[in-house]
Amino acid sequence: MIVTSDGYQIDFTDAISAFKFDETDKTKFTYHGVTALKAVDIIAEFPSAYVFVEIKDYQKPEDFDEINAHDEVEKNTKHLNYKRLKNYLKYKFRDSFLYRFAENKISKPISYICLINLDNALNTKMSKDLRLELPIGKKSTRWVNEFSHVCNVLNLKKWNDNFPKWPAQKI
Amino acid sequence: MLTEIKFDNFTAFDKLSIEFSKGINIIIGENSTGKTHIIKALYSFCDITKSKKGVAEKINDVFYPSGKQIGRLVKRSQGSDSGFIEMKRIVNDQEMTIRLTLTNHTITPDKAKISGSTKQWMDHPVESVFIPVKDMMANAPGFRSLYATRNIHFEEVYADIIDRAFLPPLKGQPDKDRGRLLEILQKSIDGKVILKNEEYFLKNKQGELEFTLLAEGYRKLGLLWLLIQNGTLLSGSTLFWDEPETNLNPKLMKTVVEILVELQRLGVQVFITTHDYVFLKEFELAINPSDQILYHSLFRNQVSGEISHSFFSVFQDISPNAIDDTFGSLIDRQLSRDMGELGK
Repeated sequence: MIVTSDGYQIDFTDAISAFKFDETDKTKFTYHGVTALKAVDIIAEFPSAYVFVEIKDYQKPEDFDEINAHDEVEKNTKHLNYKRLKNYLKYKFRDSFLYRFAENKISKPISYICLINLDNALNTKMSKDLRLELPIGKKSTRWVNEFSHVCNVLNLKKWNDNFPKWPAQKI
Repeated sequence: MLTEIKFDNFTAFDKLSIEFSKGINIIIGENSTGKTHIIKALYSFCDITKSKKGVAEKINDVFYPSGKQIGRLVKRSQGSDSGFIEMKRIVNDQEMTIRLTLTNHTITPDKAKISGSTKQWMDHPVESVFIPVKDMMANAPGFRSLYATRNIHFEEVYADIIDRAFLPPLKGQPDKDRGRLLEILQKSIDGKVILKNEEYFLKNKQGELEFTLLAEGYRKLGLLWLLIQNGTLLSGSTLFWDEPETNLNPKLMKTVVEILVELQRLGVQVFITTHDYVFLKEFELAINPSDQILYHSLFRNQVSGEISHSFFSVFQDISPNAIDDTFGSLIDRQLSRDMGELGK
């Protein structure tokens, strides 16, 4: 089941279904159509889970590298970039969750995977920060359910290393 | 300027040839891929031009094989009992080459074979500094005389760095460029380094703090301060630094990288080994297009097991990148734990 989005093509070979979740083509059955809600790029369904996929291909990955900023001004700029990216990923997930809630399609655990062309070190930091803010897991003793139990940010190489059944490539 | 080194059957290397940038050379790779061996060999060939030691003797003192049997530096492999190091450099547009050949039966340095443009090599001295991983500045008092008179088990780089640091300041005021570098360092360490009876102190508004009580990261910056102040690191000199990040607060890495990039701009050739992501990234962020920098990656060939080399002028292109691969391994293990068999 091949899905094309944001310049990438992913083949979810073992999925029950996989589609472009932020579809803008009104003629398609999967048309998103709710402009008030942000949308992840792809949702794939498997017997045991849903996988939300968000793709970002940046021209200048260093714009988000706040760890290595030279001075306070640069650090602030990069932090804003980084924070903007983190918020972008966070709200995309949350809005997509709400949309799927309204569709009554949140019966399985949801994994959130962001495919981003940052290096492994920066992706590790982004994964950690995003897990805290989504948030991942049952964050309150009052919660019975969780939004998501998995969130990972990885680049194309790591995607293909870890998901041999979902080969991805740039197109 | 050092341009190339070749190893054949020497220490960890089977056959390896590396060409260098005239500016900054950063060597990365997992443990036991020979990063330190490369800069020790380079340093030895530079140092002899000033110390006038024999190259075999210097290599033996810097590598310190067991029993000081220089033949032990030949890689133990079937079918060959000899090895060599060959180095090239360019001085005033003239290329010169020198080669040290050993067999594993060579017991003492005087039996080693030196070939190439030896006289030309020695006639063109180059100032060089090797900063080892372990700080020696706090242990400086008495060490030099101990090393000179006793057979103590220390690679010579430890004695050499103290010698370099002990050189008195150059006469007169530091020139503009040195002055600027010294200011950057003074700001970071909040003071100046002074020497009293072979003991180093950091002097600032609070008084004088002996190096033994000083954080090791500050000692490293203090050492750089001394080497710049006494003119050891001037245009045309060569700096070798083994894992500068060791015991360095990540915030101080920016200062160290800033200084190293500036030294390169002033004409110092720089060789660094590192395992640290932040340190490596600092270079990427500190350089501009006119700077000269090469990233060298050492890795084991998966089939032959031999150490191989690749080099890149752009940080993002480094491959394999042992440092980022470590983060990649964390991602792999996290995904394996989180996702189980999903996608596999």
